[in-house]
Amino acid sequence: MRSAMKFMIGASFAALALAGPAAAEIGEKWDPNYEPPRMADGTPSMQGIWTSASLTVLERGDQFNALVVPEAVAVAVETGAMAMKNSDNKPTDPDAPAPEAGGAGVGGYNTFWMDYGTKVARINGEVRTSWLVEPENGKLPWSEDGKNLLANLRKSFGENMDDPEIRSSGERCTVGFGSTGGPPMLNVLYNNNYQIVQESDTVAIVVEMNHNTRLVRMNDEHRPANMAGWLGDSVGKWEGDTLVVHSTNFHPGNAYRGAIRHRIYLTDDAEVVERFTRVSAEEIFYEFAVTDPEIYDQTWKGEMTLIAAEGPIYEYACHEGNYSLPGILGGARKEEADAAAAAAAVDTVTSDSSTTKRTVTRTYVNK
Amino acid sequence: MKIGRSTKLAVAGVVAAAGLVTAGVMKSDEASAHHAFSAEFDANAPVLLRGEVTRAEWVNPHTWIHLANVEEDGTTTAWMVEGGTPNTLLRAGLNRKTIKPGTEIIVRGYQSKDRLCAPACKANGRDITFADGNKIFMGSSGTGAPDDGSDPRAKRK
Repeated sequence: MRSAMKFMIGASFAALALAGPAAAEIGEKWDPNYEPPRMADGTPSMQGIWTSASLTVLERGDQFNALVVPEAVAVAVETGAMAMKNSDNKPTDPDAPAPEAGGAGVGGYNTFWMDYGTKVARINGEVRTSWLVEPENGKLPWSEDGKNLLANLRKSFGENMDDPEIRSSGERCTVGFGSTGGPPMLNVLYNNNYQIVQESDTVAIVVEMNHNTRLVRMNDEHRPANMAGWLGDSVGKWEGDTLVVHSTNFHPGNAYRGAIRHRIYLTDDAEVVERFTRVSAEEIFYEFAVTDPEIYDQTWKGEMTLIAAEGPIYEYACHEGNYSLPGILGGARKEEADAAAAAAAVDTVTSDSSTTKRTVTRTYVNK
Repeated sequence: MKIGRSTKLAVAGVVAAAGLVTAGVMKSDEASAHHAFSAEFDANAPVLLRGEVTRAEWVNPHTWIHLANVEEDGTTTAWMVEGGTPNTLLRAGLNRKTIKPGTEIIVRGYQSKDRLCAPACKANGRDITFADGNKIFMGSSGTGAPDDGSDPRAKRK
């Protein structure tokens, strides 16, 4: 018994010795001497499943006047977000009527469907109010042309349902909504998960939504501009322990990347530079810089951390159950048919008073 | 009454949270999910449905919960109600068997603009509850279960 006890105590000490100093918690200041796990070729391993879920989003809200705010503000923001969730969790009066007609629109769902995270981002121990670090105001530097383009696009998405190819890439199940597919890879309401698989000549980034895989060809040239990919064309290289990825040749069908949490627009020949650096056992420091002079007055830069996620990445076979796109197109056709019928009725009334009487009578009877 | 700095900060934070979260999460918009709600569903056609679940389509990009809505005359009409992505619920340990056929539910939402009712009328599930009004699933950590530890950023001590 005593020897067994000795063994257990000894094993515990051995385990402690193997564990070494306690690893930094997620969000804490990084250890400058952190040594990342390495691949067989000696490069730092970016492999694993990572998430960008966060309460922090690309642009800074007007309520914040600085990129970095005190911890107390983050706690208050997180408390507020949790209060919102808890409020949504409250039971609904089972005798409550149907929602009101009109009003603010048809809205979303109970928030249990959402998975946008519960924490404000802490990057190297700093509480961040936006991913954007440049411009300093945390706002996208839209050019006048860019602003006009965005306004027209938003109007078009609201009104034009003539053709499936006019609709957004998210609705068409080509790429997840917003810029979740990237680059740059930005967080949205759910499915903010990525899997990185690394080889010496290729780094694959699987985006959970819509299960797109971006293949980063290492130490290679870009393909011709006419070979545009939905996620652009990406080539990479190592700068020390940092993976640097340059992307361009974006598909025009994914130029507008609209989501609640961000709206960006990238022309075909926009350039995106991403930098991936392992900074702790559970974090990748993810930097991005976007240059597109037609749309933005300056290069905009962001800093984010990708956090090690638990569990597998799930399939997102968007086409499998996409009732939405036919629903949108069918809805528009129904509205057009109704409008045409109404117009025809007016024409009939205007051109033939005897028909008018019959029509009115029939309508009355039908009521 | 004097308000201390920390209180002011906290209040500012909560206001900020409301702004951050409502602006970034809750607002209906042209791309509030995989698709535009307002393009697919009719804001002028609110529906209140009540009936037993007949089956659940646990597919991306959206789940669809089918129910037999009980009409005023006692007959039933087939409806299918759109919910969010199943991936979120899978992470919370929930699957299509969670919503068992025969369970009575109440749905408040809006009917589809196309008004198609074959094989079932369609609506979005803005509010889906059990018959007693309790939410079918609770969201608090963002994945459906309170403080379930599934948000890695929440691991901070």
